Amino acid sequence: MSLAIPNGLDNTVERPGERAPLVLGETTFHDITESVCQVAERKPSAGWVGGFLIAFALLQMLGLLILYLIYTGVGVWGNRAPIFWGWPIVNFVFWVGIGHAGTLISAILYLFRQEWRTSINRAAEAMTIFAVACAGTFPGIHVGRAWLAFWLAPYPSLNLWMWPQFRSPLLWDVFAVSTYGTVSLLFWYMGMVPDLATFRDRSKNKWRRMIYGILCLGWSGSSRHWMRYEKAYAILAALAAPLVLSVHTIVSFDFAVSQVPGWHTTIFPPYFVAGAIFSGFAMVLTLMIPARKMLNLEKLITIRHLENMCKIILATGTLVGLAYGTEFFIAWYGQVPAEQFAFVNRAFGPYWWAYWTMVSCNVISPQLFWFKKLRTTPWTIVVICIFVNIGMWFERFVITITSLSRDYLPSAWAYFSPTWVDWGMLIGSFGLFFTLFLLFCRTLPVINMAEVKSTLAKQHHMAHAAAEHSEGGH
Amino acid sequence: MSDTKSEKIVHGMMAEFTTVDSLLSACRRIRDAGYTKTDAFTPFPVHGIDKALGIKPTVLPWICFFAGITGTCIALTMEIWMNGIDYRYIISGKPFISLPAFIPVAFELTILLASFGAFFGMWALNGLPRFSNPVFTDPRFDRATDDRFFLYIDAKDDRYDAAGVRSLLTDTGSDYINEVVEDDSPKAVPRPIYMIWGAAVAASIIPLLCVLLMRVTNSSQPRFHIFPDMDFSPAKDAQQTTSLFGDNRAMRPDVPGTVARGQLIGSLDVMTGIDVDSLQAMNAPRAERLVAAFMQDDQAAVAEEVTEVATEEEEQAEASVMQTTPWVKDNPLTVDQALLSRGQLQFGVYCSVCHGMDGRGNGLVNQRAQERGFDTWVPPSNMHEDTLYSDKYPDGKLFSTISNGIRKMPGYAGQITVQDRWAIVAYVRALQLSQNASLDSVPASRKDEVSQAVESAKKELQRQAEEAAQAAAAREEK
Repeated sequence: MSLAIPNGLDNTVERPGERAPLVLGETTFHDITESVCQVAERKPSAGWVGGFLIAFALLQMLGLLILYLIYTGVGVWGNRAPIFWGWPIVNFVFWVGIGHAGTLISAILYLFRQEWRTSINRAAEAMTIFAVACAGTFPGIHVGRAWLAFWLAPYPSLNLWMWPQFRSPLLWDVFAVSTYGTVSLLFWYMGMVPDLATFRDRSKNKWRRMIYGILCLGWSGSSRHWMRYEKAYAILAALAAPLVLSVHTIVSFDFAVSQVPGWHTTIFPPYFVAGAIFSGFAMVLTLMIPARKMLNLEKLITIRHLENMCKIILATGTLVGLAYGTEFFIAWYGQVPAEQFAFVNRAFGPYWWAYWTMVSCNVISPQLFWFKKLRTTPWTIVVICIFVNIGMWFERFVITITSLSRDYLPSAWAYFSPTWVDWGMLIGSFGLFFTLFLLFCRTLPVINMAEVKSTLAKQHHMAHAAAEHSEGGH
Repeated sequence: MSDTKSEKIVHGMMAEFTTVDSLLSACRRIRDAGYTKTDAFTPFPVHGIDKALGIKPTVLPWICFFAGITGTCIALTMEIWMNGIDYRYIISGKPFISLPAFIPVAFELTILLASFGAFFGMWALNGLPRFSNPVFTDPRFDRATDDRFFLYIDAKDDRYDAAGVRSLLTDTGSDYINEVVEDDSPKAVPRPIYMIWGAAVAASIIPLLCVLLMRVTNSSQPRFHIFPDMDFSPAKDAQQTTSLFGDNRAMRPDVPGTVARGQLIGSLDVMTGIDVDSLQAMNAPRAERLVAAFMQDDQAAVAEEVTEVATEEEEQAEASVMQTTPWVKDNPLTVDQALLSRGQLQFGVYCSVCHGMDGRGNGLVNQRAQERGFDTWVPPSNMHEDTLYSDKYPDGKLFSTISNGIRKMPGYAGQITVQDRWAIVAYVRALQLSQNASLDSVPASRKDEVSQAVESAKKELQRQAEEAAQAAAAREEK
């Protein structure tokens, strides 16, 4: 079972004619099981407990603020005429964007047979689900009477005696985000079932065995099951790939289909999708780098994985920069005075600070990934990724707030000021996200063991073949 | 394949392998040996095993395809029926059935149902969830999800023969071969699970029962509002206090210099009871003060200009106010039955408590004050004194007195509208006339009618008097 790693522990060096290993060390299938299962089986570390307590406290704060909001009304936010889409929508778009990386890694990279996705896809998918949960919270409470949010669904109602408006992008959004959340959940859960069976079979405790036994639906690892399972996985990936592109496209329609200057642009769908992937990958890296260290997964989530993700961040960050430039070019070229004003106002108006924060974080900071040293050093990656996250939050802020604060009617212009509730909900949404993520780390398989094992089997096979080849000679 | 009845049922034979390659070669051997009811159990999908075992392709893609088509059809039908037929939103004249706008939802539902097809279809085809499986009884089978590979030949296979299968599997290089037998662990679901389940079901019925009970129970209490849903207005009621204004009054006085909608019914003359133009000619500063005070809605200043003062020293001034003010002579409103009825009603509400229903100044408040013997009490005027007749006390003056008060009587401008005050003036004049009128003052056309009424009233009074006398006599006899 032992295996010689040609490049030692540095798998970022490219050697012609050889595939860089994705699993490091003298690894057997059992080692993978051990290293992944120990995360959930050993006693929680002090760091985990501390982090969980902080995140859980922030989640409680979010819950209390939502109660306060429902009890008092949406006036507790800074949303005032003419800025009726304030922080809740900024936070919604931010979180939905974050939620794109997981399914992208799972689906699109799977379809392109990018095997390096295997050790990171589970955590990235989990992150997607949790980010979509955070995202779903905001429009839910933004409707004013949150307890009637189910009116968004087309159900026959004797109270309303009416149907939703299917020509409205806001309704498309309801369908897109809920479909995305559902399909991501199915995809995540389905991918987890074989690993849950591993958890079941390792459980010593009767109750633990029963719970994991129910969760894994009685998975036995039968080859017939695997065959249908793989087919279903491929189909779900093929369905999720266009879905993930459609979701942020439809979110961007919320803006682009309106006639507000600065929103009414056809570049929004590709620009939003690029931004979503960009921010999602940055968030995956921000979480994954401390997690791989704390959970001792450095042999499975290698520097090469991080480097590959940094390359995607570099590519999408450059795309986002191109989109910013194109917006300005079209505003100038299109000769619509309102449009031109909107963009000049964005960069040099009262929100100049937000605009230039966004540009420096989103366009300039990812360019540092051109340097190999910077994209292979974990702490520099984390720092740059945090900047990208800040920048992407500001991008949504700039788009939403600057366009609304100064639209066609100068007498109605205003300056948006968030209230303490706005701040509390933004921070609280991170509490929700981290609470779920930390619970996930402790209770569910953080790495797709089955897929990593099949990658390792291929690695063994190739090493075997190479050894035979060199021994046999010509 | 059991030798005796006491032995357990044999399900098949399981062999363990440590590498993928040894598993694959074993699979090929048993396939070539003709076994068909075989399966392999691996911790990850092993490529090439379906060929090695002879597993047929799955129909899952077709399930998925048709589920997706169903999603598209449902979405388009729903959108066209809901927005195109059943409930049409008119938006800038745009078409009700607008295919481009229907695409996003149709796309999402296609993906959603196709995903359901893939997800649920896969589990259904795999026969999962299945929690009890004989292969799990093998003591080493737990490693099938870790790092071991198992090959299984089912006892239902036509070629199955325990000894033969065992030797075949030994030949393939497996060092662990075991017969899979009937699970002897208890089949019953553990008791605590039943108890928890039962308790959960019982508990889940409680809220439903509460709701049903409330549905059929009458209650004098208003329904419990979980969410207020704008059912309750935060607006203040009259007479409530508020912290919004310095005077803590929720009811706001009119803004100075403005007249509430519907309250400006005519000129200043009508509003004050004074011929302002004449006053201007007679005493310009006083007219200006009066108008200014009136426009400022300064009731005290208005009263100062028009009321008689009570102190001895200012009797002269009082007389001069009375005499030097050019009061409006005639009621500016059209006096008809409706106005008189309105005046009667308002007189009954506001005036009769002191002045009495008949206007003789002996209302309930006065009676009570007399009983208690208040020495500060000033008795209300008797409307039937000749100083209050229209020749000496013009309508405008009467109107002004009602508005601004006199002696102990407060002004009623705040309570009674201008129209109603003039209606009261008209009614008081009718009241005065009623108490001292002779039959001669009745128009000739209605004289008979009145005479008859008087006669019947007299008869009625007489009858009542007789009855009273009889009743008194009867009581005396007793």
